[in-house]
Order: sequence, then structure tokens, then C-alpha cells
Amino acid sequence: MKKYLVLLLTLMLTGAMYSQAKKPTLMVLPSDNWCITNGYYLEFDNQGIKEVVPDYRKAFQQSSELLLAISKINGLMADKGFPLKNAESVIKNINSTSALDNLRSSKDGGSAIAESPVDQLLNQAKADIILQLTWNVNSMGPKKSLTFNLQGLDSYSNKQIATAAGTGTPTFSSEIPVLLEEAVLSFMDPFTNSLQAHFDDLFKNGREVSLRIKKWDDWEFDLESYFGADEEELGILIEDWLADNTVSGRFSTTDATESMLIFEQVRIPLYYDRNGRQVAMDTRRFARNLSSYLRKTFNINNKLTTRGLGEATLILGSK
Amino acid sequence: MKVKKIIPLALIFLLTTTMVFGQSKRKKRKEANIKWNYEIKCEGISNNGDFLLKVFSFADNRSLDMETAKKNAVHGVIFKGIISTDRSCVTQPALVKDINKQKEEKAYFDKFFSPGGAYTKFVNLTTGGAIGANDRFIVKIGRKRYHKIGVMLSVNKNLLRKELEEAGIINKLTSGF
Repeated sequence: MKKYLVLLLTLMLTGAMYSQAKKPTLMVLPSDNWCITNGYYLEFDNQGIKEVVPDYRKAFQQSSELLLAISKINGLMADKGFPLKNAESVIKNINSTSALDNLRSSKDGGSAIAESPVDQLLNQAKADIILQLTWNVNSMGPKKSLTFNLQGLDSYSNKQIATAAGTGTPTFSSEIPVLLEEAVLSFMDPFTNSLQAHFDDLFKNGREVSLRIKKWDDWEFDLESYFGADEEELGILIEDWLADNTVSGRFSTTDATESMLIFEQVRIPLYYDRNGRQVAMDTRRFARNLSSYLRKTFNINNKLTTRGLGEATLILGSK
Repeated sequence: MKVKKIIPLALIFLLTTTMVFGQSKRKKRKEANIKWNYEIKCEGISNNGDFLLKVFSFADNRSLDMETAKKNAVHGVIFKGIISTDRSCVTQPALVKDINKQKEEKAYFDKFFSPGGAYTKFVNLTTGGAIGANDRFIVKIGRKRYHKIGVMLSVNKNLLRKELEEAGIINKLTSGF
């Protein structure tokens, strides 16, 4: 009897663990505007074109106000059960691996990997929501005030999902770090309020992800080829599958060519049924279902790659 | 003779009825005082995240029960939010967004706002209950004149949120994850 009770409790606990959506990861970064305005930027050669990108490492090393603001935000979010990824730690880690990348070059031309410092940071940090921070000090004679802007950006839909912004009272007496600390304390609740609204939408309407369908160059077919008993274009068959498997059939086809399909605002359910219990769904699992459908129904081999929680790419033709 | 006996009895009856109804009216006015009739003005935020508020409560006379002011402050932070009319503060959303929650969770909130209840943990008088000279007004509501009295208080919104999350009144940010 005891054994059955223990087994039942274990099963219940496991079930409880599994029926939870995957928590998004958050990271605070200063905005491009703040970095460039304050002189923390790099000029980066992106394959012949000069680009200006934020130099986060320099910003973290030289701006104590930035560290104060990030530390305060991290503390307040951790208090709410959402400890953030620390961008400074991620950057230190990147520096240790960038030396290895510098040694790599292509087999044919000897060219180096074309990846900006921002790409490196975002690829390594893999934060699903970036808390983009901007502040400006306004001077009116001897008085100072602070304009503060905190934006929550979804990394994969590129949508602003939360916000808090405003300007404080001009003051003679407070130092900038004090004004900054007060701004963070004042704006965090309105910010998390809009973040909560986003999470409520997530649970009600599904998680919004992106899906890309591409093909290998050497594959004999393409997305306009006919498949199935009804001789339908492969691109249309994929759209039909999405209509059947997304929440309320919600998705948008933003690009459609014979070699590429890009779907955005794809609303995937947060859970799926496995062996009679609810398991958390992510983009990879959702795209894997499409991958299996194409392979089993039409004998189309394909390769699945993902970027974090919100973006998946299926490359048709082979693994 | 009978009439002589009836008149005093009638007078006693009338007097008793008047007293009973008078008590009932006084009780209603007292209830009106604490039926969440107040205005909140944000005065600032402290370093530890406590909100400094000036709460204007309504009283029958010049003396205001400080516990009423405290309850009004906590009630405002929970159900109405803190509206800012100038740049000294940032408008804060209410902790409980559903306006029917107070009715749905009547038992919890009756206990929460009872004398000596949990609300006392989240609010403090910042000026020891002293009322500024410019914080007293006489206003007319209907036919009755009331004293509108402003008191400075601090409310620990973070702790109050945690209390309501623990009680299941509001969801945590991580609910569902």
C-alpha cells in the first residue's frame, strides 16, 4: 500500500512539474541610443560596410551608473521570481571564446566569421526578452531631471511587449545615481504590469514564435512542387498544417517564394499531450511535429535548427 | 385614567424609537466614513521602495481616526492604484485589477481590514499623525458637511503585493511558468 502511495505521489509531482510552460529568460541591456550618446560604441566592418554598434564591454567597465541601474532592476525582478541573466557575465564569457573564433577561417577563402559583437552577445546570452534601458539627464539651469525609458523587447518577434517611460521632477539636490535609483523603483511596477499583460496573452492565445522553411540547394523539389493525393503545392500543404496546429489557426505568412517560406506571429500552444499528461511545448517541439509530418506523409527529409525559445528553421531535402 | 397611563407609555415609546433610529443613523454615517471614501496623492518614493502618500479621508468632525486613514491608504494601493498628477511620482497600477475582487474575497478583506488586521503591517504614519494646516477642508457631500483631512503615510507596496500573492488574491508574475 505504501509503495502505491509513494508511486502515486511521485506521478502527481512529476505531472505538476511537467504541466508548466517554459519560463522566458530576461536580460537588461543599455539601448543603442544610450551607448552611442555616451561614447560606448564600436565601428564594425560588416563585410565592407561600416556599422556602428554598441560596445557593451566598455559600457560595463566604465559606467558605474549603468551597473547601479542594472543591479537595481535585477534585484527587483529577482524579487518577483524572475532572476535575470547578467549581461556583464555573458560578455566576459564571450571574450574567452572570441579568441578561438579569431583563429577560425573558411576552407576556401581564409575569410573570418562575419559576426558583429552584438550578434555574439545575443547568440551567447540567448535571452528571450531584452529589457532595453535608456536614460538622459536633463539640465535646466541648476536643476536636473531624469528621463527614463525601459522597454521589454521580445527577441524573436521583435515586438515591444512591455514599457515604462517618463521624466521625473527637476531637482537641485539629488545626485544622478539617486535620481536613477528612484526612477527604477518608480517605473518597475508599471513595467511588470505590462509584462504581466503580455504573459496573460501568452497563456490565453499561445506563444508567438517564428518559423522559417528553406530548402537545400541540391534538393530536386521546391515549395511549389506538388505533393500528396490531391496534388497540392508543398507551401500550401505546410500552411494547411499550420492552420490545423496553431492556436485558433493564427499565423502570418510574411514571405513566400519557391525556396523559402517565412511565418511570423505563429501562435503555438503552451502544452501538448504526451502519454496522457500535459507537457510544455516550445518552438523546437512544434517545428519537430511539422518535420515529422513532412517526413512521414510526403517522405521529405529535413533538418531542424532553432534559436532559443522563439525561432525555428526547417531546411528541406536532407539532414 | 387609561389615557393618563397611555400618554407616558407613548412618550417612552416615541423616545425609544427616536434613540434607536438615531443610533442607526449614526452607525450609517460611521459606516459611510469608512466606506472607502478618500483621495490619494503621491508625494514620492523612498529608497527602499515605500510609497509616500497623502491620504485625504472624510470625517464628521475635526478629529480623524488615524486607523481609517491607514486603511484608506492600503485600500487605495490595492484597488485604485496611485495616480500621479505631477512629475514627483510615477502613476502606479492597482495591485488588484478586477474591481469585483473585493466582493468575491469579502471574507479575506473583512479580516484584512479588521481592527488590528493585517493591513497594519504595510502602512506607517510618517508625521506621527500630525495634520498640516493646509490639509484640512470642509466639503459638502449631499446635504451634509464633512471634514476632509489629509494625512501623510508610507505604504510598502512590495510587501503588500507579496501578501496578496501568498493569499492567492493576485497572481505572481511567474504564475503558469
